[in-house]
Amino acid sequence: MAEKKDVWQGTLALMVLKTLDTLGPLHGYGIARRIEQTSGDLLAVNYGTLYPALLKLEQEGYISSEWGVSDHNRKAKYYKLTRAGKKQLEREAHEWEKTTAIVARFLAPGEEPS
Amino acid sequence: MRGLRAWLLRLAGSFHRERSEQELAEELRSHVELHVEDNLRRGMSPEEARRAALIKLGGVESIKGLYRERRGLPLFETLLQDMRFAFRMLRKNPGFTSVAVLTLALGIGANTAIFSVVNAVLLRPLRYENSARMITVHTKTAMFPTFELASSWPTFEAVRNRLDALEGALAYWNTSRTLTGQGEPAVLDTAGVSDDFFQQLGAQAENGRLLGPGDQKPGLDHVAVISDRLWRTRFGSDPAILGRQLILDKEVYTVVGVTAKNFRYPAPTDICVPLALTPEIEQNQTFFRFRIIGTLRQGKTLEQLRAQLGVIAPEFPKLQPRLGKDFKLTAQPLLENTVGDARENYLMLLGATAFVLLIACANLTSLLLARGWGRHREMAVRAALGASAGRLQRQCLVESCLLSLLGGAVGIGMAALGVQAFRALAPAGTPRLDEITADWMLLWFALGSSLVAGLLFGLVPSRHASRIAPIQILKVGGTGTIGSFFKVGNALVVVEVALAFVLLAGSTLMVQTLAHLVRQNPGFRTENVLTFDLPQSSVPTPMLRAEGALVDRQNQQLQEISELLRRVPGVSDVAAADHGVLNGMRYVHSGLELENVSDKALSDQHVLERYVSPGYFGILSVPLVRGRAFNERDARNAPKVIIINESMARRFWGRLDVLGKHVNLTINGKGSGWNEIVGVAADVRDADIQSNAEPEFFLAMSQWGVGSYHLFVRTERDPDALAAVISRQIWAHYPDQPVTHATTLRRTISQSIGEQRLYTVLLGIFAAVGVSLTLLGVYGIVSYSVNRRTREIGVRVALGARPSDVLRMVIRQGLVLIVTGAVIGLAAALAMTRFIAEELYGVKPNDPRTLLMAIVSILLVGGLACWTPARRAMRVDPMAALRYE
Repeated sequence: MAEKKDVWQGTLALMVLKTLDTLGPLHGYGIARRIEQTSGDLLAVNYGTLYPALLKLEQEGYISSEWGVSDHNRKAKYYKLTRAGKKQLEREAHEWEKTTAIVARFLAPGEEPS
Repeated sequence: MRGLRAWLLRLAGSFHRERSEQELAEELRSHVELHVEDNLRRGMSPEEARRAALIKLGGVESIKGLYRERRGLPLFETLLQDMRFAFRMLRKNPGFTSVAVLTLALGIGANTAIFSVVNAVLLRPLRYENSARMITVHTKTAMFPTFELASSWPTFEAVRNRLDALEGALAYWNTSRTLTGQGEPAVLDTAGVSDDFFQQLGAQAENGRLLGPGDQKPGLDHVAVISDRLWRTRFGSDPAILGRQLILDKEVYTVVGVTAKNFRYPAPTDICVPLALTPEIEQNQTFFRFRIIGTLRQGKTLEQLRAQLGVIAPEFPKLQPRLGKDFKLTAQPLLENTVGDARENYLMLLGATAFVLLIACANLTSLLLARGWGRHREMAVRAALGASAGRLQRQCLVESCLLSLLGGAVGIGMAALGVQAFRALAPAGTPRLDEITADWMLLWFALGSSLVAGLLFGLVPSRHASRIAPIQILKVGGTGTIGSFFKVGNALVVVEVALAFVLLAGSTLMVQTLAHLVRQNPGFRTENVLTFDLPQSSVPTPMLRAEGALVDRQNQQLQEISELLRRVPGVSDVAAADHGVLNGMRYVHSGLELENVSDKALSDQHVLERYVSPGYFGILSVPLVRGRAFNERDARNAPKVIIINESMARRFWGRLDVLGKHVNLTINGKGSGWNEIVGVAADVRDADIQSNAEPEFFLAMSQWGVGSYHLFVRTERDPDALAAVISRQIWAHYPDQPVTHATTLRRTISQSIGEQRLYTVLLGIFAAVGVSLTLLGVYGIVSYSVNRRTREIGVRVALGARPSDVLRMVIRQGLVLIVTGAVIGLAAALAMTRFIAEELYGVKPNDPRTLLMAIVSILLVGGLACWTPARRAMRVDPMAALRYE
């Protein structure tokens, strides 16, 4: 549980940014659903933990929010990627790829340097 | 960048909590509704759909908690809470709050005021572009062994052209010159300046241009730049000042510029003119009149400059043996040179105010401790309800910091007033006086010292408050252990008494110094004597002395002025000398030759010289112990005569009977011929009131002439009433003759000790504040401990102790602490008063009488502080005390 949570918090911001980048403006519930659907069961945690993360991203200026109306005529708070958010997404994605590549190389079998 | 933005938003988020709380609730509600709709679409029943959505969302309160932590700055929010609480507590106890705030305001205010002065005078760079690299060069020669002299022109040339450590150097020569043709004649401080003077100092012109290299050329060198101050005061800010002709010492100069308002001359200066040097002066190795300021090259150090000066210095005595083998050129940062000995005095005052602040902090510690023990039940309840020790401690620290900030705010006001008062009281010669202002630095310093003070005096009480064991206090309903309060309280009494003792001892020494100076008798009559300067026009003294006709003319003028003034009602006598008395001025003579004295070491010594009119000794009532004073028969062509003082007679001949012996002097660089000693004058303190009489000789003005001179007028009653009448009388007959520096001898004395008086008064005030605070603090601690021990005292009385036993017990316990404090203070005072030894006069730093006085005073103060609480303890009614609590 502990390990799973760490991963969740570390990468949640990246996932939120990517989701907003792919789907455009979206409310909190929509973002949570999307992340859950994409990741399968692996990240099945409480949706509520998403909101402090959204607040943090907004305070940092990567996303902005406003109240709007959903497809089914329901009032909801919509989040949108800002320009700074787009840049941050590129940076984070790049970092992530680099990190995973390094970790993958470590874990690859039989290639001990002599 | 992002982090900062987020932090600021969170800081802002700490304030409007209500709104965002509502917004989150609404967002979560809409989240649940959206989820429910989804679930309904998937075919769940409405109850099931809502239940599933809520489960998936998780605990709403924990989300809100996480969200809240993220939205604001939790630490900051509790700090705000603590501050609101602290404010309420302070408002509830106005008595405690005002005593605490006032105590701190005194400490912080005094500290901040003196720091502002120290900052403006000692720390802030001078207002020149390269001020950090600017240095002065001085000359030390065996000709004047105790002085740091200005330099000769050949020295300046060498310093400017041959030293690699300097980027450039300037020289100036300040003299007084007389401005005429513009209403009443005036004497102006005139600087002759080298060609790059203004450029080196980075000066700007407010009007016209400044002086530069082209202005030195003969024929073109009669141009002048005037100071902004002179332009405003003397010329009423006349916009047509450029091109105006000024008559200075009867020579005509054309004004070409005015220096900018913010430009500070290195020495007080009204007018600048190009240095016009005769070939003789350019070669003269002993004409020590040029002040040198240099700028160190980037990357070069003062040490390197000193080394280079050490290399060139030995060349000068080879050209002029009179300079002596030990001829030296010394360098010093310009700032240090400007500030001079004011440094030690200011640091002494700063130390004194630091002591006052420490005493204030000790007082506050005891006040807070006492109050903390009064609040132990509240603290215990809070601890029992779950407040952590850290939180309780923080709460206490916030309270103490708030108190000290309030104290600091009041202190800033006091400091600003104090700085104004300092400027008003400081004697005119105080370095950088006009730069001492209440500025931002004062605010920051007050803020900083308040916070440090708040932490300092809050630390111990807050630790005590947070260490309360709630169960013990709440269960027993008693007071908990109080022993630790006594321990801390005792330590505070000792510290306060020790600090107050040092202040008391230091200020007593200074007061005694001032008293000695005020009572010091110069050895002659100083009451009812008016003095004036009568500056004479350009004819330099050497030339005047060479020209018999000029001497005669001056004698005649002096004669006429004396006659004129003697006829003024209320004037009883008139006399003259080449320079005034008691103002610290010394004219030093070297190059003596004494009849019957072959000891070269003796005749190489320096003595003071003074040219006087026949009435000089009479008007000051200086007795002649042998022979006679000068008289009218000592004319220019009569045999040359000399009068010496007792010290000189004893120094060179070992006795007073030296009439008829002869002295050969060096006047204008050559031998004067033999002068016969016709009188021996009593030793008096004529140069300044502090110094004992030094060997000195007197020559007759009428035989040598003196150039500018100083007039003494004895009056029959209030001298000040006659000053204006006398100036007008002189102007009526000599319209071009400036009459300046009108004052009385008494005032000259009082001005000469102006600085000592200022420092003594300030130190006295700080000591008084420190001692009063100590009185208050000791009183507070003793009363508090008596209150806490009411029950114990009641038991003692019930068991048969008499009231006098109780009184003795309280006073004895208090006095043990006070004596301990005094002993520590005594040791500290013995160690520290050495540092003010140079400021003292007539009293030694370890003067036993002073220390005894301080000990008695501190014991009296301590006894007084214990007396009232002890009386209260004595009257404790055992029945009431045992029912207490």
